[in-house]
Amino acid sequence: MTDLTNLSLEDQIEGLSLKRFSSVELTNSYLKKIEKQNKVLNCFISINENALDEAKKSDLKIAKNDKGIMEGIPVAHKDIFCIKDQVTTCGSKMLENFVSPYSSTVYEKLFNSGTINLGKTNMDEFAMGSSNETSFFGNVLNPIDPERVPGGSSGGSASAVAAKLCSFATGTDTGGSIRQPAAFCGITGIKPTYGRVSRWGMIAFASSLDQGGIFARSALDASIALESISGFDEKDSTSINKKAPSFYNEAKRDDDNHVVGIPKNIIENIKDAKVKTNFYESVKILEKAGVSFKEIDLSNIEYSLPVYYVIAPAECSANLSRYDGVRFGYRCENPKDLEDLYERSRAEGFGDEVKKRILIGTYCLSAGYYDAYYIKAQKIRNLIKESFVNAFKDVSSIMMPTCANVSFKLNSIQNPVEMYEQDIYTIPANLAGLPAISIPSGKINDLPLGIQFIGNYLNEGNILNLSNKFQQNTNFHNE
Amino acid sequence: MKISEEILDNISSLSKIKIDEKIKPKLISDLESILEMVEEMNKIDTSNIEPMSHPIDEAKNLREDIAAKEIKRDDYQKSAPLIDDGFYLTPKVIE
Repeated sequence: MTDLTNLSLEDQIEGLSLKRFSSVELTNSYLKKIEKQNKVLNCFISINENALDEAKKSDLKIAKNDKGIMEGIPVAHKDIFCIKDQVTTCGSKMLENFVSPYSSTVYEKLFNSGTINLGKTNMDEFAMGSSNETSFFGNVLNPIDPERVPGGSSGGSASAVAAKLCSFATGTDTGGSIRQPAAFCGITGIKPTYGRVSRWGMIAFASSLDQGGIFARSALDASIALESISGFDEKDSTSINKKAPSFYNEAKRDDDNHVVGIPKNIIENIKDAKVKTNFYESVKILEKAGVSFKEIDLSNIEYSLPVYYVIAPAECSANLSRYDGVRFGYRCENPKDLEDLYERSRAEGFGDEVKKRILIGTYCLSAGYYDAYYIKAQKIRNLIKESFVNAFKDVSSIMMPTCANVSFKLNSIQNPVEMYEQDIYTIPANLAGLPAISIPSGKINDLPLGIQFIGNYLNEGNILNLSNKFQQNTNFHNE
Repeated sequence: MKISEEILDNISSLSKIKIDEKIKPKLISDLESILEMVEEMNKIDTSNIEPMSHPIDEAKNLREDIAAKEIKRDDYQKSAPLIDDGFYLTPKVIE
């Protein structure tokens, strides 16, 4: 029998539906691989012990033809999505024993689509990191080269999809946490428009930037999964009240109207010549497929990194104030008074990177510095959004590399700013709230590279279509 | 921006995170390098520009303000480190 884990999501849906194999067989194939490979990769924090029971139920539903659109498909969830009565750690000692009293909308939607939860994936603590080295549960390794990082913060999900330990996986992207690990692991990762996917039950890092999304092995697979998690949710006040179209149909349809913007000021400044060459080779592939290109100017985009490192820490310092050692989460031993309880619970419960960001955020919001840092950053954020709005008057999407480099070796980046620069090309889409996708575009020394398409608001269909076009003409996503 | 030990102690107190003396020098150097990068922002003139707090204008749905009877205290307190009879316990605050 063929290895079922090699099949695409599309083929798995068809195979299950035509009863060529059962969900129990499919789920078992994944669980066996996870048992073997997770010891090395460390991409799962917890495995769902009920996965096979869920698969049995799905098989019954398929037999009765009473099935969800992804009935019986085994998936993995970033451990930032709450699942009722299951531990949700967010990669932190602070939530090591936190059992969620409710489920996130993303999980509920995927459960209602019929998916089987294989387990929760490892991540940088509270989604703060670009290498998955800040997780309390240990670093994750990249299946392409186990001496290297999978990227972050959703490194566990990316590593699991790349190693074929799940059909697809959920992730979150605040400044690149889906796209950068997708690029490092040679898979497809999409962050939809801010507000497209409900943030209910998705543990908050920076609320005006956080957005849930999908890791998959192709744009078509991603389009099916993304459709399932999208849509209005009255429980999230920032959810957009618009029905999501069929992303799968949008990705597949013939679209000859792509005009892709190339931001000259960014591309000219790519430092690594191989990354630049790969970018232009990718342009050529699309040109041959009939896609038009146009040079654009995204002014002020070079300020994205500083703006992000004010806004994200500021929002993080407010969001993470809820972890006080009183209502839930870690509590220090023998506090001598209330102040000591707060200060030591947070000092012992949070890791170094999280503490650093809370301190930066607190500083930027403190009296005397608020205008100079926080308001200043918000003003530049407005200018960056305006640059995108202007660009989309002339183009249907924008293309740039996902990262400035390929995956790096474990513990090789010690300087915080150098680590933050990992997200230099991914942050702008979060600041503006735009949808963006990373797809594999080739390799440098056997390590995958990604290209990124940024779409206009609510136009995920366009960048999925463009990505599918690229993948129909290349084989990088199957290598 | 130079971060003095006094500033670090102030933000540590504001954020309720106790900082170990031993890590202070490294932490100060990290914070300074982050702020140095952040201060690139000063190169751009932003007078007459409105601050943007949220990427999407049309969102922000508010629900009706209706009192609900749903109380799931026991469910929510299952994750609490220390409770007694429905109350969260902390060290004594008032003598």
